[in-house]
Amino acid sequence: MAEIALAVAASHAPGLIGMFDQAPEQSQQMVTSAYGTIARQIRAAKLDVIVMVANDHMANNRIREYPDFLVGLALEHRGPAEFFRDWLGCGEYAIPGRPDFAETIFNGLNQRGVRVSATHENLNFDDNVSVPVVKTEIEASGVSIIPILQNVTVPPIPDQNRCYEIGTHLADIIANDLPDGLRVGLFATGGMSHEPGGKRDFWIDEEFDTWFLELLARGDHEKVLAEVTPERLEEAGIGGTGELLSWILVMGAIGERDCTVLGYTAWDKWRCGIGAVSWDMASASVAR
Amino acid sequence: MSLNNINRALVSHDLVQDLKWDAGLRAAFADNEAAVLDRYDLNPAERTAIEQRDFRALYDMGFHPYLGAQFARILFANNSNGATSAVEHLLASIRQEPTSPAGASETAQP
Repeated sequence: MAEIALAVAASHAPGLIGMFDQAPEQSQQMVTSAYGTIARQIRAAKLDVIVMVANDHMANNRIREYPDFLVGLALEHRGPAEFFRDWLGCGEYAIPGRPDFAETIFNGLNQRGVRVSATHENLNFDDNVSVPVVKTEIEASGVSIIPILQNVTVPPIPDQNRCYEIGTHLADIIANDLPDGLRVGLFATGGMSHEPGGKRDFWIDEEFDTWFLELLARGDHEKVLAEVTPERLEEAGIGGTGELLSWILVMGAIGERDCTVLGYTAWDKWRCGIGAVSWDMASASVAR
Repeated sequence: MSLNNINRALVSHDLVQDLKWDAGLRAAFADNEAAVLDRYDLNPAERTAIEQRDFRALYDMGFHPYLGAQFARILFANNSNGATSAVEHLLASIRQEPTSPAGASETAQP
């Protein structure tokens, strides 16, 4: 039986790398502190592999033939993709993949009724994977990754209930299909509120973001699923805030756990509310 | 601007994807935009909207806003360090406002 030894979630935005030094000092401090905490947790957890549940920003498929989930089976994951390199302002990285475990997850999800696509090719990564990789020093940690890119922008989109359910399937695969003793990290990357390319681009719904983080800290997943609806996500930013569905998928995988909010900040030029959380995987699930 | 009104059949989506995935095509587009547009079976309204940098018209046809943000970085030649000015041009177009250098701080609340 493999074990989920780490579960974290954090936002991504290109400006977290390329425009970092221009941000207000308190925003820089929050990012340094929160992502630094995750970096230390990754090293302390002695992980064999990190499953990165990230949003796809239409970087890999045409919009007419768009998968809801896309698993990266490559032996090595390199990024950022050429078009995004200058936009992000970051250098290149190469993280080892785990094609064997990725294949198990890919087949395991399909066997459990989740239609998932996969590719042996190197995926095009933009800020979705590049920002967490850079800010939490995953390349230096030496831990392998398996990216699962998730559709949150091309309707119909799997809603919060479906994402949570898929998370329970992922947990079942980790428990029953992956090798005994394997230490798996789950890293949700996406959100918080933003509306990329929309009329409210640059606007950040701080009220929504802080409400969402408080909801997670309270730990009542039924309440999260009842209240974080597609409509509520759209109100807080069409096409962007729905990236928080990756957080909900990870919540489905771990069940109710104590959740620590590592920080939150909003600076309009980052065009996205920035938040991060870490769930306590050392203790038993919270009984409610 | 709900995502439910997206027209997934628009050929202009393919143009943006190809430009993102192919640096050579992007260079050709910068050198001779019309010649690259000729390779795509765009309807006349799509082509006119692209030529006029009219994102409001593209969005009204069902162009996806996320690809709009990426297309703006190409059309407005601003694709580095967050590409703030490209987004400001895009916003001015979809809001049908003149471009403001302080656009980021003047965004309307919903």
